[in-house]
Amino acid sequence: MKTIKEISSNGFAFALARVPGSPRVLFGGADFKVYDVDFSAAKPEAKALGEHKSYVTGLALSGKIAVSGSYDGRLLWWDIDARKQIRAADAHAKWIRKVAVSPDGKTIASVADDMVCRLWKVADGKLLHELRGHEEKTPHHYPSMLFACAFSPDGRFAATADKVGHIVVWDTVGGKPVKTLEAPGMYTWDPVQRKHSIGGIRALAFSPDGKYVAVGGIGKIGNIDHLDGKARIEIFDWNKGEKTIEFEDDKFKGLIEHLAFHPKGEWLLGGGGANDGFFLFFDLKSKKATRHEKAAMHVRAFVLDEKVETIYAAGHGKIQILDVKS
Amino acid sequence: MSHLRRSHFCGSPMHALDRRGFLGLAAGAAAFAADMTQLNVLQHPLLAGEMKKQQKRCILLWLAGGASQLETWDPKPGAPTGGPFRAIPTSVPGIHISELMPEMAKRMKHTCIVRSLNTRNGDHGGAAQLMMRGRRDEANLKYPDLGAVLARELGQADSQVPDYVSFYFATEGRGSAPGSAGFLGSRYAPMELYTSMIPENIRRLDGIDDLDHKRRGELRESLSKQFAKGRASSSLGSHGEAYQRVRGLMASEKLFDVSREPQKIREKYGPTLFGEQALAARRLIEAGVPFVRVGRAWWDSHGENFETHRELVPELDHVMSALLDDLEQRGLLEHTLVITLSEFGRTPGINASLGRDHFASAWSATLSGCGIQGGSVYGKTDAKGERVADGEVGAAELFATIYRALGINHQKNYHVGSRPVPLTEPGTKPIKALLA
Repeated sequence: MKTIKEISSNGFAFALARVPGSPRVLFGGADFKVYDVDFSAAKPEAKALGEHKSYVTGLALSGKIAVSGSYDGRLLWWDIDARKQIRAADAHAKWIRKVAVSPDGKTIASVADDMVCRLWKVADGKLLHELRGHEEKTPHHYPSMLFACAFSPDGRFAATADKVGHIVVWDTVGGKPVKTLEAPGMYTWDPVQRKHSIGGIRALAFSPDGKYVAVGGIGKIGNIDHLDGKARIEIFDWNKGEKTIEFEDDKFKGLIEHLAFHPKGEWLLGGGGANDGFFLFFDLKSKKATRHEKAAMHVRAFVLDEKVETIYAAGHGKIQILDVKS
Repeated sequence: MSHLRRSHFCGSPMHALDRRGFLGLAAGAAAFAADMTQLNVLQHPLLAGEMKKQQKRCILLWLAGGASQLETWDPKPGAPTGGPFRAIPTSVPGIHISELMPEMAKRMKHTCIVRSLNTRNGDHGGAAQLMMRGRRDEANLKYPDLGAVLARELGQADSQVPDYVSFYFATEGRGSAPGSAGFLGSRYAPMELYTSMIPENIRRLDGIDDLDHKRRGELRESLSKQFAKGRASSSLGSHGEAYQRVRGLMASEKLFDVSREPQKIREKYGPTLFGEQALAARRLIEAGVPFVRVGRAWWDSHGENFETHRELVPELDHVMSALLDDLEQRGLLEHTLVITLSEFGRTPGINASLGRDHFASAWSATLSGCGIQGGSVYGKTDAKGERVADGEVGAAELFATIYRALGINHQKNYHVGSRPVPLTEPGTKPIKALLA
């Protein structure tokens, strides 16, 4: 894919959000800061809105309000027009891994290594629900991690996914679990050579019709010193509790860090990487990867524009706008 | 039966009295040897006093593959190289360690952190050998590792227990630093456990009764003595000594069985293999084993360093703190040196996979307990952790300090043939600031 524009992300960028209908994006990463950048400028420049006390790993946008989450366990609310922080919450006892916003923009979901998903009211920061359905320890007695969350297109459901491949779909109104799914192929425990683990579900997305949940990560790894496993995607008909697709890519190794469906459900796009990065287009009808694109960075987060013509992506070292069709 | 350490009886009347007294007690202690699961020997005050005075021990927590100093003992929060973890204060004002180690932070009074190791070898194999031996082998001289030296120096002449036990269950890195007695010979070679918590092949065969076993041993000894007549060989001597210890080693099987510990104690160490092996190490040193290595592999986090350390450091924190507590509560900590050591540390620079690579220029180890000035930090790295800023320590200095903490003259000579071989390289000095 052709790079339309790019800037340095001042190190590793982990989270990205885009102002709908505009070339303005917010991002955050390993320098603890939350930035915004307007790519319509001739020389786009990232400007810091403020900062956390550790890595910024989640960003969600609702109108002019952005909410960032960090390994410091805090959620910060930002007025992006006034360019100032307007609220803070000590949201989690451990690292926040992801933040998602509901389609109506009223609710924020945050997931963290305390293995809890919390739903927050965007407008006033009120805690709406605590969703507890993930074990704190792996079966091998080590700390687990709650990496991913997403809302369904109608906002009625949210899904969360953890290190050992356990997925829970939640009723966002009642705050209750409605379905659990398992994707153990995303988790590698090495009982012989290295005696520890790697992997986990890192990406999660609902299909546009809300019927399917797709999860991404990495397949089984021989040498877990490195991200030396095949990029892996699994798709569930979640209401039926059935796995419909289990896919490991033959070309790209590394983690699928972010997933997004085509608005009409034609394909699923995964971005991720290991030492380098990639985009992977997965055709939902043929159940095959139809397009492999090397990326200039390990991709951590991306947003498709409304016309599905460009990708705004954040990753290790860069923020990029890419031309989907080139 | 003598329970004196080798080569440390100075011959003074005072010590002779002590020795006689201790030998008398040792005769009583022989009863304990009949059942090696009896671990309450230290409850006998006089015996406990002698054992505490004379029998220093060492447990090495070997963090194979290279644990990151930045995510353990030398955090750099806020530096570009610092990573995501915060530093937390410890019970000793002014000392901060990684937030992943809250339990050790409470117990800092026992521990000295050495933050200034520069060992100049970033290759797993060579570095592991260096950090197990304190020096590099010569072309024609293979040096004993720490365990073998301590087995030689702290072990008892006719011990009923092994002198050197090594747990290393992971296969990765096992070949990099196998226990090695070097020129000391097989008498000081480790009992290495790779797959089972209980030594394999330690039991008498079902088809042989105890009398038959004894007689076979006597026959072997008789033949061996005949063979040795007129032959002067340290190898033969070492070989014979190893056989003489067989029945004692066979009796030590139960020491390895952690299921004999009260459930409360087992829970303190936790359910992981590392925890169980640390508990076994405590059982072994309590029963008189001078040196136990507990190998926890594999820390080689080239990819996803922070996830790996988020998984492994809390385990280290839990197990190490449980071990120190247990040793302290049993009155053993002041006589037991607990070391955490890897073959090297990890790069301050974070690679494209969010990993850290091999780094031997500025990394950390810890010494706790016996002979150590706890609650202290020795040496300093620069703001990014890229180089030693103060108090550089090499492998030789670290080993000299370990020997001194255990009451061993680091300058003593062994002899290989007629060649004197010093325990540490000539001119090496221990770090006095680390010693209590």
